Amino acid sequence: MLSALAARLRDMELAEDAFGHACAAAAASWGAAPPRDPAAWLYAVALRRAWDVVRHARVAGRAPADAAAPVATPEEIAMAAAEPITDERLRLVFTCCHPALDPAARVALTLRVVCGLSPAAIAHAYLVPEPTLAQRLTRARRKIRDAGIGYEVPARPFWAARLASVLATIEIAYAEAHGDAALSGVGAVGLEMVALSGALAEMLPDDAEVLALAALTRFAEARRPARLDARGAMVPLDAQDPGRWDRALIAAGEALLRRAAKVPGPVGPYQLLAAIHAAHAGRRPGEPPPWGAIAALYDVLLGVRPGPVVAVNRAVAIAGAKGAAAGLAALEAISGARGIEGWLPWHAARAELLARAGDGAAARDAYRAALALGPPPAERLFLEDRLEALASKSL
Amino acid sequence: MVARTLGDSPMKYMLAIFEDEANYPGGEDGEAWRAVIAKHMAFGGALVQAGVEFSGAGLHLSHSATSVRTGADGAQAVHDGPYAETKELLGGFYVIDVASLDEAIAWAKQVPLGAHGAVEVRPVLGMPG
Repeated sequence: MLSALAARLRDMELAEDAFGHACAAAAASWGAAPPRDPAAWLYAVALRRAWDVVRHARVAGRAPADAAAPVATPEEIAMAAAEPITDERLRLVFTCCHPALDPAARVALTLRVVCGLSPAAIAHAYLVPEPTLAQRLTRARRKIRDAGIGYEVPARPFWAARLASVLATIEIAYAEAHGDAALSGVGAVGLEMVALSGALAEMLPDDAEVLALAALTRFAEARRPARLDARGAMVPLDAQDPGRWDRALIAAGEALLRRAAKVPGPVGPYQLLAAIHAAHAGRRPGEPPPWGAIAALYDVLLGVRPGPVVAVNRAVAIAGAKGAAAGLAALEAISGARGIEGWLPWHAARAELLARAGDGAAARDAYRAALALGPPPAERLFLEDRLEALASKSL
Repeated sequence: MVARTLGDSPMKYMLAIFEDEANYPGGEDGEAWRAVIAKHMAFGGALVQAGVEFSGAGLHLSHSATSVRTGADGAQAVHDGPYAETKELLGGFYVIDVASLDEAIAWAKQVPLGAHGAVEVRPVLGMPG
């Protein structure tokens, strides 16, 4: 409904205002006898409100005070019933994820407008103050309006780039929800991304990367019950108890990945990532993950998605397959990357592999370097535990 | 905040071209300059072919620029050279009439550059009336 209004009005704030008024009017006037077509009624009343706002603003230079709720005429209701409300969610997703918007803004707007999370919940999930989040949303809405970002599914020539932006937004939204590892109540973001990626897969079932992203979110979310130990410390993926993973979510992920594999065409980054997660998910308790296969997948992924994130994860997989020295060599290869000194995952991976290689002193230095970068609570506990274990070993 | 448009209407966007003038050794007499001018002729032809209404201009290199600065107190001074102190300087612009930001971005990606640079896509204010 909201997205149909937004599409018609090309102004999200106006649409939200109009929708709010229509709902208030409904609450006040439906009582025991709601209209035969409640959706059409709401839509017509909301439109009426929007025209009123615009007309008054043009005349008086500002929006009118809360007037009495307008009543829709039979003509307006008939008109509203004829308006198509198909693919509305898809239109809204594409709008909120437009590449002209800053990635953090895309995440915030999608969670707010498409998923309906409160600004407080979103701010909490990404560890930003609520006023900052509110400003981010306001700026994003202003950019949509002033830059002329349309409320529509993109035309064919622009489809690929626009869809890529949607997938990237979902991935970032999931991956950067810090509460992911520690804070309670933030599971909401994870579940919303599972739902949204699933809805996309239903709407675009012939796109391998869309299917693969839906698989990926399911694999990741399946592991949530195993992510923390009793003290709230992070448990790394290869140490998690597979018995605590959500088998239904894993099965759903595997089904989506199989469907993605059947789509002809080159294998994209989300398929590779989902395959890596699937390889981890197939692990039995007490067994190591299939590191050789995982390292091979990372080799391919590095080709399509070069950068330190993939390089570090690849190094860890190489260490699993060929030993700590090989993994350390792979880490050394990116030691010159810009900003790597300030990047926690690199130090944490180095520390782990140095410890495995028997270089306790260097490992302790690396753990301290990682801790100095201020990890979130669950990871901090994990790193402190490791550091302590090393220190006691050397006595 | 009031809706800017209620329904479809084309929008005008400025495509402002920013380049490092090191892209043009030999200045306006150099080969790189001549080559990019030719590419801009072709780009204009592509816009015409696509039925896009547009205007625009290339600018002489920034050594020819003069800046008038007005301070907060209203005092004015005339300076030799362009306003921006960055390496990338304004070199030219197009104003195109298209149906969506997506289209404007697509054209911006095709604007010829000497080597590397940036094209800023900014909506043009509508005329009153």
